[in-house]
Amino acid sequence: MRHVIFRVEKERYGLPLSAVREVVVPPERYTRVPRAPAAITGVMNLRGRVVTVVELRQLLHLPEGPTPLCRVVLLDRGRRDLGLLVTDVDGIEAVERVSAAPGKVMPAVRGVARLGGLGVTVLDPEGLDAAVVALFTPSK
Amino acid sequence: MTMDMSRYLGLFISEATEHLEALGRDLVALEREATASTVDSMFRHAHSVKGMASSMGFEPIAMLAHRVEDLVDAVRQDRKLLDRDLVDLLLNAADTLTAQVRAVASSREPEQAAGLLQQLGARVEALTGHAPAATRVAQVTALKPATPSGDDGEGSGGGEGPSGASGSGSPGGAAGPASGSGSASGSGSPGGAASASGAGASGSAAPASGAGPSGGDTGVGASGATVPSALAVMPPATLMPPRDLSGPDALYGAPSARTLAVMPESDPSSPVAALTSGLKAVTSVADGKSGAPRWSVRLRISPTCQVPGVRAFLVHKRLSTLGTLVDLRPPLEELKAGRIPDGYIQVDVETGVGDTGIQAALRNVAEVEVVSVSPSVPEPPALPVVAPTSDAARATADTGSRTVRVRTELLDYFLDTVGELMLATARLREVGKVLPENTRPALEEGVYRLHTLVKDLHDKVMSARMTPLSLITDRLPRAARDLARRKEREVELVITGAEIELDRAILDELADPLLHLLRNCIDHGLESPDERMAAKKSPRGRVTVTVRRARDRVIIDIEDDGRGMDPAKLKASALKRGLITEDAAQRMADRDAFLLSCLPGVSTAKDITDISGRGVGMDAVKRVVESVGGTLEIDSVRGQGTTFTLRLPLTVAVVHLLLVEVGEEVFGLPIAKVVGATEADPQALSKSRETALLPHGNGLLPVHALESLLGVPAAPKPGYRPFVVMEGDAGTGKVALAVDRLLGQEEVVLKPLSRPLDLLPGLSGVTILGSGRPVFILDVPRLLTA
Amino acid sequence: MAKRVLVVDDAIFMRNMIKDIFASGGFEVVGEAANGLEAVEKFKELKPDLTTMDIVMPFKSGIEATREIIKADSSAVVIMCSALGQESLVMEAIEAGASDFIVKPFRAEDVLAVVKKVLGEA
Repeated sequence: MRHVIFRVEKERYGLPLSAVREVVVPPERYTRVPRAPAAITGVMNLRGRVVTVVELRQLLHLPEGPTPLCRVVLLDRGRRDLGLLVTDVDGIEAVERVSAAPGKVMPAVRGVARLGGLGVTVLDPEGLDAAVVALFTPSK
Repeated sequence: MTMDMSRYLGLFISEATEHLEALGRDLVALEREATASTVDSMFRHAHSVKGMASSMGFEPIAMLAHRVEDLVDAVRQDRKLLDRDLVDLLLNAADTLTAQVRAVASSREPEQAAGLLQQLGARVEALTGHAPAATRVAQVTALKPATPSGDDGEGSGGGEGPSGASGSGSPGGAAGPASGSGSASGSGSPGGAASASGAGASGSAAPASGAGPSGGDTGVGASGATVPSALAVMPPATLMPPRDLSGPDALYGAPSARTLAVMPESDPSSPVAALTSGLKAVTSVADGKSGAPRWSVRLRISPTCQVPGVRAFLVHKRLSTLGTLVDLRPPLEELKAGRIPDGYIQVDVETGVGDTGIQAALRNVAEVEVVSVSPSVPEPPALPVVAPTSDAARATADTGSRTVRVRTELLDYFLDTVGELMLATARLREVGKVLPENTRPALEEGVYRLHTLVKDLHDKVMSARMTPLSLITDRLPRAARDLARRKEREVELVITGAEIELDRAILDELADPLLHLLRNCIDHGLESPDERMAAKKSPRGRVTVTVRRARDRVIIDIEDDGRGMDPAKLKASALKRGLITEDAAQRMADRDAFLLSCLPGVSTAKDITDISGRGVGMDAVKRVVESVGGTLEIDSVRGQGTTFTLRLPLTVAVVHLLLVEVGEEVFGLPIAKVVGATEADPQALSKSRETALLPHGNGLLPVHALESLLGVPAAPKPGYRPFVVMEGDAGTGKVALAVDRLLGQEEVVLKPLSRPLDLLPGLSGVTILGSGRPVFILDVPRLLTA
Repeated sequence: MAKRVLVVDDAIFMRNMIKDIFASGGFEVVGEAANGLEAVEKFKELKPDLTTMDIVMPFKSGIEATREIIKADSSAVVIMCSALGQESLVMEAIEAGASDFIVKPFRAEDVLAVVKKVLGEA
């Protein structure tokens, strides 16, 4: 299946092409979302739509890195108002054979796959969605 | 040439889904009252789904829908057959069909619902006294797009995607196509192919027969006209007369007019050429009564014809317009039932139109070949042939109004784009203001024109987005039924005015709140049947959903006749949670007290219900309603019931905002809730328990710094700052918000908050300013309580 | 000149399919109707060379619509779109004046064969 491959720092991630609507350059400034969790960078106006931008790094509990985050990966139309802030987008590649990811099970992560000899973490669109919602829902 | 069905898939999915939803609704309605029109409507829905599914080659769906259709048809004959189990079974079938369609939507093969099919079949049998007709099952299997009449050898080779997996078995298929013996029709096909070339050869003599394409090409595509056209001649070998006519009696029968026809097989080798050119005069006795000449006509229904009975009936009808029909074999009843041995039909026609007239009358009937027309009297007068298809008058108007289905995303896109056009226009106008005086008029004129066009486009887009409320209320009866059954309650749901239209965006938002309110009514509003009886009410509860238009608003009332709400209890609960003060509780009107149920945790119903995996409480209902620019009111009379009133804008709301700035952020406050603005030095304000108090009117208002309320970083500024006095709600009362700057008023288009923003308390919507900046609209009371 | 066709069916799915079939056969679909009432109106307005008519439809059945169309124009060519199991209904439609019929699920070549035949183009 074809995946959009992008990076957070040096680590590579993939999302099924069908789950990605487009990739855009982030705006100069975001509108801050009051009382939002820290992972929410803010909202942006994308051609009249208000898109919530989430820092993927924080969503996946990755450490802060030195590289600026300079692409927003917009999810498909079901989640059309959600964008993931990432370091950069590499392109579209076919990803086959996804195996279980090492470490803690996260709903946002489907597994890992090999791509050009290197590993890529394959994300689960539904899981990402759920992870974002979970940020907003105080744990009971 | 097989059709590419994949392009209809989307339409199939959406339309089949609609039919199934409607079927579900009908079923629920049916249980309440089995009206003929509901049953008819159910029949239509099942029938449509069957037709579409069989067209798509989705055999499991087609079969199930067909069984439902059968069962509904049985109910149609006698509505007393209907009982709750039957409705359950049909609902189950509707759900399964929906699941099957969903499977197809996600490119999976729909699963065969064998158990359900069997159950339905058993019911059909029990109700009608006979099993679902074998032919009907055959029909579904035989109707796979690429499969020609039961000959699975060719069919499975067709490579038609969706049908492939449904197997080449088609058990009933072999029996399907011809009512007669399968072998006869099987052998007929090759013979037919041979005869087609014969027709070509004799084409000059029979101009009407034309060339290949006329044949109902049900064979393999490559062979072209395998079925002879009207005037083709069957080769002698296939010209076997039907048994019942081959006896000497038929040939040389008694001198009664009825049996004097001369059989064509007396000259089996006579080609059409001979028939149509100089017809051999065959002696016969004219019928005394009608002076018209008598013709003996012999026809054959194409072996590939799926419904030979109807075909034969059509032929009969055509011939009977020519004159009197005598000695029809098989007799009409047999014909209609499709019992036509080998497809041969024999009849005498007393008519003045001659053989050409007879040929002409049948020329335009598909799947029929005229084997022979022989005169019973010599030289029938040749009358002009009337072409059955006269030129219908040409229409003056070439275009009818056409409708297309537009995906909602596209509608959203239109709206977004038009919104952006409006923004861009506003931008241009702004830019125009700084231009030199002399260049301005031209630009302003252009901008004005642009503005008018965009406004017009906006109106059109808005009207295209208007959708009847039934889109969401249609789900309610089923939900009500399920809820009532679970709670073991009797509920009657009456929905009126669902045809009223609202903007699609608002409608989408309202689906869950409406469902929640309904659930609220059934779960908490309505009493148990015993309680109701004790209160001298009908044991069956009643929930009405009334939709009406009032100027530019749509008002939805959801009303139950249950126990009603207790304002005292609500107040006590809110008090206990510290959401209101004792004093406020005392002064609070009942109407406001009812609204306390919309504060989180106050609802007298302990449980927050969960709809579609999403916790939606009364607070969420209120928030959603307000986020689309509407209001929620609650009225209740103890012991008599509760009414929830939703007042909604027709279209995406335009709201007046007061824009305020704190730190670097801009927020919108709904003008409708702004009482006033003032300036004061926060340091100079008196305090009570850490809360600053602003003198206002005769009293003091609690002051909240917006930056801390929202968690926005803002450098503290000494001295005077503006305060905005806001209307509170039932729980909070008026408050004063300290801001950094008042930016002024603006009229904006309110956008509902999409996931995940809708999960944040205190925001009622978002809008995009002329500068392109998104700005949140605050729900101050919620900000204070959440 | 391409023959002008009015397509009547309550399912958009079917209408689209039939329209495509006609388009592939060089016909011009000049109008559509989703029920019997609309069908009669559209027929009177458009005067098509041929009308395909679904039988089971809301508001007014295809049979009733056919009857009214034939009443308005006895030379109207109406082709019933039927399914197996509807034999008696089709016969009723034929009594009402329908010229011919096609059986669902449709195959383009079958439909075109019947239509061309009925229009005398075969």
